[in-house]
Amino acid sequence: MRPAAELIVSFFQVPIVHSDSAGEGRAATPRADFIAALVWIVFGAAVLIGSWRMDRLESQDINPYTIPGLVPGLLGIAVVFFGLLMLFRAWSQGALTPAGGADGREAKPGEHRRFALVLLPCLIFGVGLLGHGLPFWAAAALYVTSTILILQYPERKAAGQLARGVVAATVIGLCAGGLITLVFQEFFLVRLP
Amino acid sequence: MLEGLSMLGHSYLSFLNFWSIAYGLGGAFLGILVGCMPGLSATLCIALLTTLTLKMEANNAILILICSYVGTLYGGSRSAILLNIPGTAANAASCADGHALALRGEAGRAIGIATSGAFCGTLFGVLCLAAFTPALAEVALKFGAYEFFWLALFGVAMSGSIVGDDPIKGWLMGALGLIFAQIGEEGLYAYNRFTFGWDQLSGGISLIPALIGAFGFAEVLTILSDPIEKKLVEMKDSTLPRFREVAQYWKTVLRSGAIGVLTGLLPGVGEDAGAWMSYAGARAVSKEKELFGKGSIDGLMAAETGDMSSIPGHIIPCLALGIPGSAPSAVLMAAMIIHGIQPGPMMMIAHPQFVYDVVAMTTLATCSILLFGLFMVRPLLLVLRIKRSVLMPIIFLLASVGAYASASRLFDVYAMLVIGVGAYFLRKKGYQMAPFVLGLVLGHLLDKSLRRGLVLSDGSVLPFLTRPICAVLALVTVFTMLMYIPAVNRGVKAAFGWCKGLVFSGKAA
Repeated sequence: MRPAAELIVSFFQVPIVHSDSAGEGRAATPRADFIAALVWIVFGAAVLIGSWRMDRLESQDINPYTIPGLVPGLLGIAVVFFGLLMLFRAWSQGALTPAGGADGREAKPGEHRRFALVLLPCLIFGVGLLGHGLPFWAAAALYVTSTILILQYPERKAAGQLARGVVAATVIGLCAGGLITLVFQEFFLVRLP
Repeated sequence: MLEGLSMLGHSYLSFLNFWSIAYGLGGAFLGILVGCMPGLSATLCIALLTTLTLKMEANNAILILICSYVGTLYGGSRSAILLNIPGTAANAASCADGHALALRGEAGRAIGIATSGAFCGTLFGVLCLAAFTPALAEVALKFGAYEFFWLALFGVAMSGSIVGDDPIKGWLMGALGLIFAQIGEEGLYAYNRFTFGWDQLSGGISLIPALIGAFGFAEVLTILSDPIEKKLVEMKDSTLPRFREVAQYWKTVLRSGAIGVLTGLLPGVGEDAGAWMSYAGARAVSKEKELFGKGSIDGLMAAETGDMSSIPGHIIPCLALGIPGSAPSAVLMAAMIIHGIQPGPMMMIAHPQFVYDVVAMTTLATCSILLFGLFMVRPLLLVLRIKRSVLMPIIFLLASVGAYASASRLFDVYAMLVIGVGAYFLRKKGYQMAPFVLGLVLGHLLDKSLRRGLVLSDGSVLPFLTRPICAVLALVTVFTMLMYIPAVNRGVKAAFGWCKGLVFSGKAA
């Protein structure tokens, strides 16, 4: 590595620390940071181009220092700058070496599957059920019941309590949907979708 | 001075009625329940309650929100002690010593210490809130576009620097929040930025759905996708607050209270910084350093006093400058705006009584947590026994209602979903949400201040650097960012050591 490059590398060698306070933050590998940095640079460049192409409102004879694209453009430059710093740091930490992709903290077994199982009912409820004619309490009951069933299925099956699980989940779902509708709509006069 | 005291007295008297006390206790109760549940943050609690209190009178609504804010942070210590999982990020510093005490069979004692630390810390913060907010607001009246530009930038830069472990990621998240704030109709010419012809985006990304997505939905996904459920430590001893220990560790209480308030004053830094800095401060001067992390009373007291005293600290810049000190105070500020109270330098002119009302509300919140700490510890812990698979879907339901209710737009629910999924993945890669939120809140201020400033100076950037307050803010912002470059950091430390050597003549005998 050239001396100038070494100097710059020493500037941005921030140690990677694993922090997971209250579910926040899990350190990424240098390779993941490298890829993320590329995404940030592309995003920043897109913001910069978008700002550059914004109308300068010359027809309205506005002050040139108040053009709408000024601040977004500067922010785009800032994102590209920080993205480049991250890219350089990830590269200096060996992102492109075989060890650069080794994960310091791997996902727990079954985490990705559970994530998909949790996300799917949320999306169906939020995008498909809400505001499409079904009363809120019914949509809410459907969502809560199905999510509880999905999440508790393995333990209920192992314990041979599937029927009991269905009944419990349905009761909880109906109570949750009914109570939330009652409290928000009737007591606190909040409009529900 | 006398006028201020008279207004403060009036505020206290106005809250001495059945409904105010009931609202205060209710808000604190809900806050403690949310705080007890690991992962559910004060931001989520306040955002959800904001939608629930939309139709209430402004003072009652803000009272509930402030009490829930204080309650959530106080409740977070329960799961830190009993589960070794902080209820909110601010309680992370309490985990080591609190849980170590619980494992020794002193869980009740740890909760008692947390209660007394939280009570004293919040009370100390309330005194600072009453004393400093009017003074800061008076100074802020002299601020112009140049100063507000730097304040906004300073807030996002500080938040990016201090929150989390990686400042570059923090600054990127801050910039992302500022960019998101630019979406929609801009303030000077009503020009649509980054809307791509989509009318729904003209109104911009609303703060409450974004916060619920970043702190609520993302947390639901994080908690439910984790297959491991932690075991609760049983509690056998008394949970009464230990004021004898407060007297014993009075120096820790005062020091941590001051550190908490000072970190609270810094925009966007968050309550966890107050807790960690107080903890580090206590450890540095403690005679029982070796006990820290292994069940130190001093450490637990410092962490709890620090995080709780930072709450009033965060409210000070929120009221006086219109710049929130943390993510929960950003929601609090949004709620104030929804209820027709505009925080900022004009607050002491337009709503002078409201500042003292907030002092009275925070005092009521402090008394509420003491009451719940005295009489309701065990019943409130039942919430920790509810299965995640039952609780979290209900939290998601509340999050969806919360996102929708503020403007009755389905688009806000979609925005909450998109931001929540994005936040989930970003958090997994070590990105923090607090700088993003602060960027989202301060984006408009930064945009307007920069463009107005440039018009006033006819395109010159000199006033942004030469006006005294601007120069100080610019220097602090740049210096803070440069300090994260190891070479600069080493150089500054060496220079500081050299200067110290010039002043002090070697070690004392």
